[in-house]
Amino acid sequence: MFKPGPADEAVAIDCETTGLNVRTDDVITIAAIKIRGNRILTSERFQAVLRPDALMQAEAIKVHRQRQIDVAQGSLIWTTLPAFLHFIGGRPLVGYYVDFDIAMLDKYILTLIGIELPNPRIEISKLYYERKYGDAPPNTTIDLSFAAILKDLGIPALAQHDAFNDALMSAMMYVELRDMKDRGVRIARPRTRGAIFNPMGG
Amino acid sequence: MPNVFDATNPPFDRLTSQEVETLRAALDIAYFRPGETIIAQNAPASELFVVIKGTVEERDGADLQALLGPKDSFDSRALVHGKSGHAFVAREETLCYTCPKHVTLGLIQSNPRFASFFYREISHKLDELARDEEERRYGSLMRARVSELFLHPPVFINASDTIEAAGHLMREIGSNALFVRDGERIGIITGMNLSKAVVLRRQRIETPVREFAHFEVVTLRPDDFVSSALVLMTKHNKRRLAVHDGERYVGILEDIDLLGFLAGSAQIVAGRIDRASSEDELAVAAREISAQVRTLRRQGVRVEVIGEVVSDLNRRLLSRLFEMVAPSEIRTSGCLVVMGSEGRGEQTVRTDQDNGLILAGPVDKATLDTFRTDFSTALADFGFPPCPGNVMVRNSAWSKPFSDYLADFRRWVALPDESAHMNVAIFYDACAVAGDERLLTKAKTTLIDLIHGEQAYLAHFARAVDAFPTPIGLFNKLITSEGKGDALDLKKGGIFPIVHGIRSLAIEHGLLETATDKRIARLRDIGVLQASFARELSQTFQFLLMLRLDGQLAASAGTSGTLVRPSSLSSMERDLLRDAFQVVKQFRELVRHHFNLGMF
Repeated sequence: MFKPGPADEAVAIDCETTGLNVRTDDVITIAAIKIRGNRILTSERFQAVLRPDALMQAEAIKVHRQRQIDVAQGSLIWTTLPAFLHFIGGRPLVGYYVDFDIAMLDKYILTLIGIELPNPRIEISKLYYERKYGDAPPNTTIDLSFAAILKDLGIPALAQHDAFNDALMSAMMYVELRDMKDRGVRIARPRTRGAIFNPMGG
Repeated sequence: MPNVFDATNPPFDRLTSQEVETLRAALDIAYFRPGETIIAQNAPASELFVVIKGTVEERDGADLQALLGPKDSFDSRALVHGKSGHAFVAREETLCYTCPKHVTLGLIQSNPRFASFFYREISHKLDELARDEEERRYGSLMRARVSELFLHPPVFINASDTIEAAGHLMREIGSNALFVRDGERIGIITGMNLSKAVVLRRQRIETPVREFAHFEVVTLRPDDFVSSALVLMTKHNKRRLAVHDGERYVGILEDIDLLGFLAGSAQIVAGRIDRASSEDELAVAAREISAQVRTLRRQGVRVEVIGEVVSDLNRRLLSRLFEMVAPSEIRTSGCLVVMGSEGRGEQTVRTDQDNGLILAGPVDKATLDTFRTDFSTALADFGFPPCPGNVMVRNSAWSKPFSDYLADFRRWVALPDESAHMNVAIFYDACAVAGDERLLTKAKTTLIDLIHGEQAYLAHFARAVDAFPTPIGLFNKLITSEGKGDALDLKKGGIFPIVHGIRSLAIEHGLLETATDKRIARLRDIGVLQASFARELSQTFQFLLMLRLDGQLAASAGTSGTLVRPSSLSSMERDLLRDAFQVVKQFRELVRHHFNLGMF
């Protein structure tokens, strides 16, 4: 895990959680997809459900804090995490607000092996910000939402709030944004002036 | 890959759910930057690509062959034959699913329907699509029940009754067929049987009908499908079927009513045109012609048949109007012709006026001028817009004596300019609508004789096939309200090169046919086109006409309908469109070679 991963490889990750509070909420599913060069290796993915019960009643758990179920399902987390750590190795982790996902996972990983994930992190929203707003004049309205990134990059929106789909979309964003960075291509910001003249009429 | 990959997209829709799982599990995603080569020309491929986002150019050397967009897959040739005839290059930031070669080949091996997509020749693919469409569109008609059809009433006559009585009974009930009861036996007798008995067999009208009736009656039930009625008629070679509900006879089904049910009401419009006694009545009928197009298309009638029906109706309309408007002097000594696409019978949606008049000799100028204006104005009132090129009776250049046309022909051939070539093209497609047809035939044969053997002239004439240099790349970038989209000009890119190339070959060989597919068939018969290529060409042509018709039907006001947005087509249609343009390209090569256009 401390060895750097194979050159030019990364792993896109995403977790579905019961909520946004790292201290009190739980991970329901994890998905991770390897990226090698410009290839997204969906055929070699990692997917695990840690809280099958929560899939059905995430809301209920959030409200009632049914800790006893955690205990019952707890074993799943401990059997899944080693496989996950093995899958990602030392590769950089790619994600949209990836710090949150890593913080969620670190909760368990710290307990399991006594350290937090040391992997380099690649933040999609940061890459996007550089491409789109890096040279923006002050007072530009900034929109770093997932939907805005999808739209600018022309990536089809897959059903969201599914860890695999979110990880996959992040992976697609990553390969495209990284290439744009290599080529020094920027994402156009909409002009404040009117729409482009249409020479064909209509 | 969970269900992110859309397996309803052809050809993957032919896979079983288990095969779809195999496919999904094997998929990766690849990213290509703009300008990156995905498959090099003549290189093998190790994967099948399916576009997720972006655009991929299919290139042959420097020539752009096609643009592939989301859901398009490529390249079966590189995968199956180990060699891609074309290069595939990303045009924008592009993401593709990739399916490893061994998985794709495995699916091809295990699933013949999936395989056929990769192996079939284009014309077969087109046939398959046409069949699918026919099934979809005809399907609902064929699954209608016999009880929904018009049935003749079940009226009985005794076998011992006379021919005379049967004839009167038929007139009384307004039907042409009766049931005949002969003891236990039941038969059917028709008006035609009666006439034949009397006229051909010289039977007296007092003869009993028994021996003229047919007792091998084929019956079906009212809740049977229309399709089974059609099958029974064909199988037993019967024009009438008895409908029996299990207890009693409820009617007689005639083939004409069955066919009428399937074919729409074009013949009713035709009748209305023929019976119209004033321009107002004609105007009503004219409006119904355009409604027929939509109905026929919805019924799944093939586009060449629609073209035929519609041009027949348009010609009837013009002919009837000519009878009403033209003074007798012009009617007897003139020939009214339609030209261009109307002459070829390939115009389906309301067209410009493309018509002219050939006169046997000079006519009083005032009379002629009145007719010219009246005729064109009436047509404009019927909804035929004036021809932008002013090729219409109103224009004295297109309504004049035969001898003046001859002078024109000589000038067109001897001193050709751009408009001369166009005029020859327009006139060569002319078709007589009313008046003395021989005038047109004489004019056309004269024109053909003048051109015959003038290879340099023909080459200049044929050169227009290259008027739009990269037909396959004619995806004009259009800026629409939602952003940019690719639209493609079918007419310039495909229909025009076929029509004009075929026209050039036809005029060289002195053919008198006007319709492009008839010309193709004749050119095949005289050995100018190979049979297999002629078949592909004419199917490609029908396919492009069909797409254009659909575009025209869908087009809202303001668009020409000849622009098709590939993104609005199904991916099967897009695939076929690509193949179709490939055939167009081959044909242009053929024409170029035939007329030695390389010399320009």
